[in-house]
Amino acid sequence: MSCFTFKIIILGCKELKCTTLNFRSAIHLEVPSKNEICFCWPELKSLKMSRLEAKKPPLFVSEPLTKDTVSQSLSLLSGILKSCYGPAGRLKQLHNGVGGYVCTTSQSSAILSRLSVSHPVLSVLTASVQNHISRFSDCGLFTAILCCSLVENFKSLNVASCTVIKISKHLLSLCMDYLKSEACGCRVSVDFSSLEALLCLVRSVLTSKPACMLNKPEVDHLTTLILKAFMFTVPCHVETNAVLGKCIIVPVKGRRVVDSTVLPGLLIETPDTQLAKPLAVKRTCSNMIKIALFCVSMSGDLSNPEEGTITVPYGISLEMSELNQLLNVGKQLVNDEVGLVVCQKVIHPSLKQYLKENHVITVDRAGLSLMEPLSRMTGSKPIASIHSLSPSCYGSLKDMRIEKFASKHFVHLIPNDTVVCSLILCNRNETAWDELKRACETAEHVLQLTIKEPLALLGGGCTETHLASYIRHKSCSLSTSSFKDIDCSRTQYQLVADGFCRSLESVACSLNHDDGEILTDMVYGHCWFVPSGFPSVSNWSDLVSKCGCGINGNTENLNWRLLQGQFGSPIIQGCPKDPSVKVADFLTLDCFAAKCSGLQVALETANLILDLSYIIEDQN
Amino acid sequence: MAFRDVNARRHIGLQQLSSLALAGRTLLGPMKSCKFIVDESTNQSTLICSAVRLIESLDLTSAAGQLLNETIQAQNKEFKTGMSTLLFLIGAWSNAVLECLQQNVPVSAIVSVMSEGLNSCCERVQCLQISTHDVNKELCSSSVRPNAFKSKTCQIGHDDLLNPQIFLHFQKDISAPEEVIPINSCPQQEDDCNFNKCLVSPLTGFGSIASLVKPAGDKSTSVISGSGVTASSCNRQKLTHSRYFSTLGKSHFSSQQGNFQGYLSGQCECYGLGHLAMTLSHGNQTSMKLLQSIVAYQQERAECSGSSRFNIAEIVTCCLLGLPESYSCVSPGFVTLVSPEQATVIKYFEDKPLRILLMDGDLTEQYRHLGFNRPCNVRTVLEHPSLQEVRAGDLWLSSMLDILISFKVNLVLVKGNVCENLMERCIANSILVIGSVTRDVLCAFGEVTSAQPVTYLTQLNASCVGSGAQVELWEACDGRAMDLGELVPVGIKVRGVPLLTAVLTTTVASKMQLIEDQFWTLVYRLHHALNDEKVFLGGGAVELLCLSHIQMLAEQPLQPANKNTVKEFHNPWLAASATEYKSVVLQALASGWKQYLSVVMCNTAKAASELEACTLVDHHLKKAAESGSPSAYILKGFRRGDLLRGGSGPFADHGEGLKVYDNVTAKTEAWRRALDSVLLVLQTDAEIITGPKRNQLLNSHVSSEFMFL
Repeated sequence: MSCFTFKIIILGCKELKCTTLNFRSAIHLEVPSKNEICFCWPELKSLKMSRLEAKKPPLFVSEPLTKDTVSQSLSLLSGILKSCYGPAGRLKQLHNGVGGYVCTTSQSSAILSRLSVSHPVLSVLTASVQNHISRFSDCGLFTAILCCSLVENFKSLNVASCTVIKISKHLLSLCMDYLKSEACGCRVSVDFSSLEALLCLVRSVLTSKPACMLNKPEVDHLTTLILKAFMFTVPCHVETNAVLGKCIIVPVKGRRVVDSTVLPGLLIETPDTQLAKPLAVKRTCSNMIKIALFCVSMSGDLSNPEEGTITVPYGISLEMSELNQLLNVGKQLVNDEVGLVVCQKVIHPSLKQYLKENHVITVDRAGLSLMEPLSRMTGSKPIASIHSLSPSCYGSLKDMRIEKFASKHFVHLIPNDTVVCSLILCNRNETAWDELKRACETAEHVLQLTIKEPLALLGGGCTETHLASYIRHKSCSLSTSSFKDIDCSRTQYQLVADGFCRSLESVACSLNHDDGEILTDMVYGHCWFVPSGFPSVSNWSDLVSKCGCGINGNTENLNWRLLQGQFGSPIIQGCPKDPSVKVADFLTLDCFAAKCSGLQVALETANLILDLSYIIEDQN
Repeated sequence: MAFRDVNARRHIGLQQLSSLALAGRTLLGPMKSCKFIVDESTNQSTLICSAVRLIESLDLTSAAGQLLNETIQAQNKEFKTGMSTLLFLIGAWSNAVLECLQQNVPVSAIVSVMSEGLNSCCERVQCLQISTHDVNKELCSSSVRPNAFKSKTCQIGHDDLLNPQIFLHFQKDISAPEEVIPINSCPQQEDDCNFNKCLVSPLTGFGSIASLVKPAGDKSTSVISGSGVTASSCNRQKLTHSRYFSTLGKSHFSSQQGNFQGYLSGQCECYGLGHLAMTLSHGNQTSMKLLQSIVAYQQERAECSGSSRFNIAEIVTCCLLGLPESYSCVSPGFVTLVSPEQATVIKYFEDKPLRILLMDGDLTEQYRHLGFNRPCNVRTVLEHPSLQEVRAGDLWLSSMLDILISFKVNLVLVKGNVCENLMERCIANSILVIGSVTRDVLCAFGEVTSAQPVTYLTQLNASCVGSGAQVELWEACDGRAMDLGELVPVGIKVRGVPLLTAVLTTTVASKMQLIEDQFWTLVYRLHHALNDEKVFLGGGAVELLCLSHIQMLAEQPLQPANKNTVKEFHNPWLAASATEYKSVVLQALASGWKQYLSVVMCNTAKAASELEACTLVDHHLKKAAESGSPSAYILKGFRRGDLLRGGSGPFADHGEGLKVYDNVTAKTEAWRRALDSVLLVLQTDAEIITGPKRNQLLNSHVSSEFMFL
């Protein structure tokens, strides 16, 4: 018995453990506990209530994949995701149907986070894609489309699912070995001494999100900015364990994209009343500005939201005593020659007034997201209590000034040695800004992943078709002993490998959204696009100009064939060649780490879904 | 989750955009026709004359409608001008794109050709920019007769009525200004009463073809045709229909000119920014005169202090309902409305300098600064029953009053609300407290009086209180007593305060909002012109050049822009199919501007029909192409003042002396935003409805339109 069975058990939050045990004993199945996937529904919160109710029997569904509703939902989800893919992808308007904010997007992170899927099988899929997105930001759609495609293709094969799983794992290892080898024909190494490949990586991310509404000059402008921002976050003096800094995105909505800019240091938005005049900052003897950073509210309210009632005799004001405590803190700050006080939350107006009279600048409502970079940048420790103030908590700044963008005023904090920078991001309206922000964060993340592993994969569908060509070639030339190891026949292996390759190719085909043909060539195994309106009999070499990633031109006869609709006809595939030219300028490049992970996640999730035999749903 | 496919051959989203935008056609150009928006459920109607107000009043629950709203609001927030252009172009381009879809043009081709086409046009029209410096110089050099414009304005207006004394004479015959309309409902008076036109002139903006708009998809509203209005002084924005509603004839509405008597009418038009303001006013004389006064004041101040020449933060408006429009003027200092009780305090002030206090929150006992969380679990116990007589509220009132009195404060400006009891006690102690004062005003007073804004009165110390303020009852230019019923205008001045208040007057309540909006639009136009440091030639010149440029692009061989760049970022997924459909898509882009020009010409009555207007545009395009240099042809036409036959709209009569200019950034941004929204909707193929609405849809009759996940 080599197959084991996965279970999905959907439970109320607090009864997770005991109910799991009940099920186990009731069903008498030995399930290795690490293979259990538990979903907790937030609505079943109250432990007390659920115990009082009479329990309903759990709903038990066997062979969920054979059900029509599942395959319909799966193909709908796959259709939605495929239609979003690539620079010409179609957008989705996400809204609640009763007015209010409409999110126009084609990004997997935005769609999946808002999508509520009703079926557990789809939940498994979306959850693992979202997990991938949270770790890599990029290649979410690739992962999801590939996963759907794999499930659909493998399901239609007449091969036992455990065999499919074993073969597909073998295929995955072939792919990963190839991608990690020097001989890999679909990857380029990224040279950090020149900008070209880095610019290509960023540009590819930006152009693949059409809802950002960028034109060419705007893409160029933002690409440079994002790269510049990334450069700021790389520390100048690298010790043994270098840590990348952080780029904070500052929203300025309603402006043109070309008004975006990047500044070293941090920007904190402030109302302009108090800081209209030029700043005179108190400095220490070493000409630095001493800064105190508070992460506790200094608004003077009672900061203990505990249960119970406080009884106060008439005439005693708790507010006054709180304020007096705050003013004592103020006195100490003044004595310690602090020049700038930044508070995550609100500072009481009286304390502000006191500090101002003593020439201390106050900035409040900085927000939680700025605290970590602020503390890192200034070397100060966030002060969490107004009762104990240790001078060792203070940090220092080189300079500060007031900047004005659009109608907003910002305090610009400039550190000595910056690894923190601010990207002032502008776009014309809310929807497009939100989309652009997600794209910029993805691009930033892609650069961070690339500096760890200086490789990139060819984009525009070329990696997918190239990999498919490689697998087709490899699966034909596999030795008989390997089939024995996997415990399958050559035919079974061929069938599964074909399904795997078709899934990869269907991802490349998803890039095409208007009528037209997708081709691949027999030499490099790259992906080519022919616009609609030409008879398919005509000579392909007259119609193609460049491959999807832009590395190959139409210079020699590359022996093109249609990518779709080759069912039945076995393709004799030579090993795809590595394009001789590897100059990486104006190429479409994808993040290596993200795509490798996407490939693995897609296959493993597809295997998991294929292997589902029961769904047990707690109806309580 | 529910999912609806919108990308049939007839794109639902684009159709929604186009039908929503249709409502804004008459708001285009310098001659706008106003609209009534009637809400049948409450029987209230709103008079609107701008795209922003139109969109605010419509029921926009659809996703495309929501996007449209967002786009218009964003333009309004950034520029305060160009919203009608934006709305119109969204409609025109949606239609054009729908036609492209009918012809099976792929979406990616439409997107790439249109956005590159617009880019190219925006670059091309740069030759029609003129620096603001040159605009001012132009007048000084060209107008040997500097009063040419002025005298003509006076001719068009009614000379006799420009004298406020005469005006007042007529005004006395009529018992109340609100009763203007009944007079006009008697047609026989029209011929012999010269003043008729002047009295009706506040209604001018309603136009002769005021029509009603029905919010799309809102079944509770209806369309009522007809024109005219009655004023309801108790409700400024909403109108109720009266029996006069349908009796007013078109002929009662005179042209816009001649209804204004400027407060500072004696100044020279060629002085500084005044001319620029005039060229940007697009025929709105009332606002223009006010703005010219403001510019003159600020310029004078700038020469003394060296501050910037035009500062928008130093301008405030005060709306006075019940005075004729001719009383609109600019007053130095801060003019605001107070209750008659508050006004009585002013008598005690006489002319002595007042001590002023600024508060940046509410002045109430309950108010706490933002971010202060009220503790919910504190119980106060009273230990000495003898104190019971003193109510807690009274304690607060008297202690606050004590503070004010001990610091000898006479005037308190509060950003938020003021406790009514405290207000009464203050009045009794001759302290004037004014609430709802904007931050800019507080700042301006803070700067000149050295008062520091405080949040609580308990914070007060001697250094927070400023001095030197003066308060007086505001008087109209002819000293006419202000009997406006409930509220009294007062003027607050401090020596050196940079604030200027534009006092906007009208006798028609429903028009107040329009007048204020129009004033701010013009103020912002000048502001943006100075920021851009350049303006576009107006009167359709820019749009005409765009049309001629597109004609040239369509005839050009493929991808001319890319040839000179050796390496270009390659994107086969976007570029491949574009070339084939180039001319079809470019024509679609051009149709937006062509319709724009023809509708503006129709609205200004320069063409009888859109067809006639289109023919005229085509004629000019042909001549421009024949001339060899379209930009030179257009420039020549503009200089002669006969671009698109004759000058532009209301200025046609002024002859060669006057040119019309437009904002550069606001205009090109409106184009870009319009195209962006259309393309965003075009590229959308599905709506995904999340949340509880899903179950409703599942059970509703439209559930067949949706797919459920």
